[in-house]
Amino acid sequence: MGTSILNIGISGLNAAQTGLSTAGHNISNATTPGFSRQQSIQSTNTPQFTGAGFIGQGTNVQTIQRVYNQYLSSQLLSAQTRLSELDTYSGEIKQIDDMLGDPSAGVATALNDFNTGVNAVSANPASIPARQAMLSSAQSLVGRFQSLDARFNEIRDGVNSQIQSTVVTINSYAQQISEMNQRIVLAQANGPQPANDLLDQRDQLITEVGKQVRVSTVPQTDGSYSVFVGNGQPLVVGTVPFVLAALPSREDSSRLTIGVALPGGGQAGLPEALFAGGVLGGLLNFRSASLDPAQNALGRVATALAMSFNDQHRLGQDLTGALGGIFFNAPTPQVITPTAPANAGTASIAAVISGVGGLTTSDYRLAANGGGNYTLTRLSDNVNVFTATTLPRTVDGLTITLASGAAVAGDSFLIQPTRVGARDISVAITGPRSVAAAAPIRTTGALTNTGTASISSGSVNAPPPPNVNLTQTVTLTFNTPPTTFNVVGTGTGNPVGVAYTAGGNISYNGWTLQVSGTPGAGDVFTLSASPAGVADNRNALKLAGLQSTGIIAGGSTTFQAAYSQLVSDVGNKTREIQVTSTAQTNIFQQAQEAQQSLSGVNLDEEAANLLRYQQAFQASGKMIEIASKLFDTVLSLGR
Amino acid sequence: MRIATSMIFDAGVASIQKQTAALQHTQQQVASGKRMLSPSDDPLAASRALDVSHASANNEQYLSNQKATGESLGLVENSLTSIGDLLQTVRTLAVQGGNAGLNDSDRRSIAADIRQRYTELLGLANAADSTGQYQFSGYMGATKPFSGSVEAGVVYAGDDGQRLLQVSASRQIAASDSGNDVFMRMHNGNGTFVTAATTTNTGSGIIDGGATLDPSKWNTVANSKDFSLRFAVSGAVPPVTTYDIVDNVSGNSLLTGAAPGAAPYPRVFQPGQAIDFKSQGAEPAFDFGAQLIVSGQPASGDTFAVQASSSQSVFTTIANLITGLETSSRTSANATLLANRIGTALTNLDQASNNILTVRASVGSRMNELDSLASAGQDLNLQYQQSLSNLQDLDYADALTKLSQQQSTLDAAQKSFLKVSSLSLFNYL
Repeated sequence: MGTSILNIGISGLNAAQTGLSTAGHNISNATTPGFSRQQSIQSTNTPQFTGAGFIGQGTNVQTIQRVYNQYLSSQLLSAQTRLSELDTYSGEIKQIDDMLGDPSAGVATALNDFNTGVNAVSANPASIPARQAMLSSAQSLVGRFQSLDARFNEIRDGVNSQIQSTVVTINSYAQQISEMNQRIVLAQANGPQPANDLLDQRDQLITEVGKQVRVSTVPQTDGSYSVFVGNGQPLVVGTVPFVLAALPSREDSSRLTIGVALPGGGQAGLPEALFAGGVLGGLLNFRSASLDPAQNALGRVATALAMSFNDQHRLGQDLTGALGGIFFNAPTPQVITPTAPANAGTASIAAVISGVGGLTTSDYRLAANGGGNYTLTRLSDNVNVFTATTLPRTVDGLTITLASGAAVAGDSFLIQPTRVGARDISVAITGPRSVAAAAPIRTTGALTNTGTASISSGSVNAPPPPNVNLTQTVTLTFNTPPTTFNVVGTGTGNPVGVAYTAGGNISYNGWTLQVSGTPGAGDVFTLSASPAGVADNRNALKLAGLQSTGIIAGGSTTFQAAYSQLVSDVGNKTREIQVTSTAQTNIFQQAQEAQQSLSGVNLDEEAANLLRYQQAFQASGKMIEIASKLFDTVLSLGR
Repeated sequence: MRIATSMIFDAGVASIQKQTAALQHTQQQVASGKRMLSPSDDPLAASRALDVSHASANNEQYLSNQKATGESLGLVENSLTSIGDLLQTVRTLAVQGGNAGLNDSDRRSIAADIRQRYTELLGLANAADSTGQYQFSGYMGATKPFSGSVEAGVVYAGDDGQRLLQVSASRQIAASDSGNDVFMRMHNGNGTFVTAATTTNTGSGIIDGGATLDPSKWNTVANSKDFSLRFAVSGAVPPVTTYDIVDNVSGNSLLTGAAPGAAPYPRVFQPGQAIDFKSQGAEPAFDFGAQLIVSGQPASGDTFAVQASSSQSVFTTIANLITGLETSSRTSANATLLANRIGTALTNLDQASNNILTVRASVGSRMNELDSLASAGQDLNLQYQQSLSNLQDLDYADALTKLSQQQSTLDAAQKSFLKVSSLSLFNYL
């Protein structure tokens, strides 16, 4: 009987000791990330059956269990994944937002300054300083475009290098998870007891992967986890890690994307859409949804400005009496032919801008269907702009032609109409005298005219180049009665008896003018070249007018408006991401609280446990002392 | 609910961080005076602010264009004033020159004076602006527009260009006027037709400039606009003077519709009585809406021409006047010729003055318009500044209240965190 009490006491002593260890473990790991508090689970020993019934035989510790809920943990994991995606996106887009919002870095001020420069030339067309000032303001506008574009490319490079380091991080975690799987399988092979701390460590590793990319796990019967990232790409299966790689995209080698190492060697690219969530998802999403359109939008403003300004400039005449040349070197669309692996066909595709009004801010993928047919997909909305069509074809302000060779089915080309617009714009003319402020033609009514009709100054018809006979002298002579007139001049075909409409357009040789009022019989109006028109500002006036003309987006938007639309788009997106991110932070905190509420260590609780098990230990010790006394009593009976 | 110790720390730190972030944002707003630190703070207002500052920049551009136009027009106006004064002086001299009491040398000295004015006028017409560009040469700012002399006549080397400037979103105003319009393209005579006495007239008939009663009638197709008045004096006592109006194009008399007959002519002439270009009595129906007056007594065979006006430069007008004064002598026929010449010169000078005045009025009305545009533009500028300020600028009262509120919230968060986190059962073990 005495031994039984002693045994019971010892079992209690042991259990209390385990309890104290567990509490101590909890206290010392209170700040360990991913740690779940542990409890020792006690139960009674098998009782001894006697005639008096079952006599209890003390206690034993059945297991040490971690307080853990799979559901809460996976909720926390997905909240974490979404939060780090939004945080990454927000951090990246904030750079564009800050850049565009800075008035000293934005294009808006430079556009206004350029406008002032053009207007100054319009007010003083013969002034060399005014022309020089216009050129300087054009230079600084171009410089602004280029520096913004350079900043965009820095951000793009930053995205690339972050993708690379994220992939390295994920691979390192994958390696660790596979090792952890191995250790857990080994540890749990010894018996049914859970390897609590190893499980916590593995969960923590999975959480770390979850910060980088969306992750899902499938528990296996041997205790290992199969881990999948994104939308089902295996990362760890059992003890085998799969190695991800950051690869240059096949379509655009300047763009890193995610690939996987193939078992037989080599790597294969995976679609970006597969990698949602986490830092990686945030980076990929930011690049395709914000960075590309923003850079394209800026490029579109630069391209439209350069091309429309050139078109008007070429209709004018410079200070030396020559027809205006191009003012800006206009950017051209970029067509990227894949190199690794290259297209099977030999086709080389060319794209030129045929109408700036039609340009969008999207990129395009041209896919060959074979037999000379092509399909063009607009990447911003994934719409097939045309299918099964032969080239050349003009669409969205672009004319796409087959420059050489032939394509075979499966070949593809990436067309970026305005991506490099802000990078490639530059000022083409060098001397202030080359600014075409004047118009090459002038008109006059003969002094001998008896009627009251007057002739307008005339304008050169768009688009350039101007008609070869533009500056040929042409006379309009009114007949008797003066309701018709005869036209004489090279290139006009010398028509006679042309009906006169007051204020109506009269157009020959690529110019248009109006005669209004009442002409007299025999009145003569003459159009001729204007070689000495140094004080003529007609073309400068039209150039200045371009800034307030709708040119972009089907002729509905001015340069300034297109730029402020870009600022507003980026601002709105940033705002949206920030608001979502704030909401997601709250969701994350709630999930964290729910999880911590269950699994987190409360030091007060552990202090109480320490006291509890200390007292249990003391009580068990007392019991052993009593058992000892009982034994002494029995021994003294014999004296 | 079970609370983990880490939750106390996490939640405490998170709320302190949130408060600090808000406080820092407000502090930045206060420090910069801007409501929006980046477009994302208020994307709508940010893009609106860009639009407004663009509109404001445009408006300022228009204001500066208005100023440039105003300066240019001011110079033109100065020149035009001088030219107007000069023409007035020439007119006074012309009237003096017509004085019958003057002898040839008096007239020559007047002619010499007018020659001086002629040179002065040529100088004014070749005036250059502050940048050295000729004011009245149209687009050809570097080309001297007028050159020539009294004898050789003056040639215009410029063109008809008028430099327009964009002075508001929808308005372009001419900042210059071409020399053709100011000096060359002016109608002689009364603007519709011109009258002249034939130099070989022997009578004392002096024709006036005539008047247009109805320009639309003058412009009818039936009007050939080229007539001769023929006078004849009968031998009767007292003599009766008659006249005929001959259409030089058809060669027929306007009054009979047939080839002009011999004297006496169809109408009877009374000195100073209006001669109407309108059928009277049994004459074939015609009405050209014009009349003129011949005063004095024409002699038999005297003729006067009536023709449509054509352009005559102010230089030609003054040159004719000078020639007239220099070549006239004191015989009576010459006196009539001189009177007719002076009359024609005065009519043409008035036309020139009128033309200058018209251009001046046009310049003046443009300057007026500029003034009203400028004041509208300045008002608009103020409005733009105001809406920009509304969009961008910080409401300091609001921000400072928010700042102190956030300060005290942060303070409370920090203090309460300290209190809560310092509670521990271990303190008592």
